[in-house]
Amino acid sequence: MNIITIGISEIAATGAPGVLVSYGLGSCVAIALYDAEKRIGALAHPLLPEPAAKANVAVKSSKYVSHAVDMMVEELAERGCATSRLVAKLVGGAVMFDSLYNRYREAIGQRNVEAAIAALARHGIPIVAQDTGNDYGRTLEFYTETGTIVVKAVQQPTKNI
Amino acid sequence: MDIERLNHEQLDALREISNIGMGHAATALSQLVGKTVHLDVPKVNILQISQVPEVLGGPQHLVVGIYMQILGDARGNILLIFPLESAMELVENLLLKRPAHGTALNELEVSTLKEVGNILSSAFLNALGTLLKLTLIPSVPILSCDMAGAVVDYVLIELGKAGDISLMVETEFRSEEDRIKGQFYMIPGADSLEIILTSLGIAT
Repeated sequence: MNIITIGISEIAATGAPGVLVSYGLGSCVAIALYDAEKRIGALAHPLLPEPAAKANVAVKSSKYVSHAVDMMVEELAERGCATSRLVAKLVGGAVMFDSLYNRYREAIGQRNVEAAIAALARHGIPIVAQDTGNDYGRTLEFYTETGTIVVKAVQQPTKNI
Repeated sequence: MDIERLNHEQLDALREISNIGMGHAATALSQLVGKTVHLDVPKVNILQISQVPEVLGGPQHLVVGIYMQILGDARGNILLIFPLESAMELVENLLLKRPAHGTALNELEVSTLKEVGNILSSAFLNALGTLLKLTLIPSVPILSCDMAGAVVDYVLIELGKAGDISLMVETEFRSEEDRIKGQFYMIPGADSLEIILTSLGIAT
């Protein structure tokens, strides 16, 4: 079985029976796209919602949620996946530290999730499952065979979404 | 200041000031737990942000992360990482009661570890501030006990806004018999590196 690990700021796509894995997601949100007909999936692990307004970003970077979604859609289109068939799942976007700083950091986890929802809406991709928020880290395994994502967390039951 | 353009002298200076700061922090820790605390030579890690979780023992490694901002004349972050077993050992040393295994840390245990973070970072920043003639104070500590990747991405998000490369000055410390060990990271903000090096008279 082909297992691909996606670290911070990385994206990758693969077909069945490949597995896409992201470890230790905290405030980062992982975005998974899946084409059930072709059994091809893509996974992104971006860091920030979008480039700062003043930043001049000439080349798209998978560091940003908004760019990562565009890049995955393009990559999947090249592999013959119609965007209209794609569905999305979101994992992560936790608030890792207690509330004291959240006002200051504007709950970055929440902002990452909102950015993902907005970017997916832009492409008309529905979100079919989501395990986001709360205050704990997550590890995910995305099985392109079935489109199932297994989410593991410390002291939490394992979930299949 | 371009992190990748730092010269040898500047990197040496960053190691040296961290060594001095950590010397004070280690003394404080040693007095707190009544054991000798040894320090490794500090390392300046300049790496891609995506590589940082690997340095912390891998993104799935269970750790207690205590995070403080550096406030005052120069800004930055301090991250104190204890492997979970070491954090438990530390708590047992201070509260004379071992945390229940397999459950989350309780309020008193969390508070104890935050206080350790406060004491270590205050000792560190005090020494650094005296040396650099800067006022450096730590913010209130915040704590997370989870997978290393999840604990650190919060800090990385902040660094990611400035660029793709991070500079972390890392010092490992360990008590005798290795029962308590941890890593102390100073992560200067983009502007602070310049302030620190200027204060040392070696800014370029």
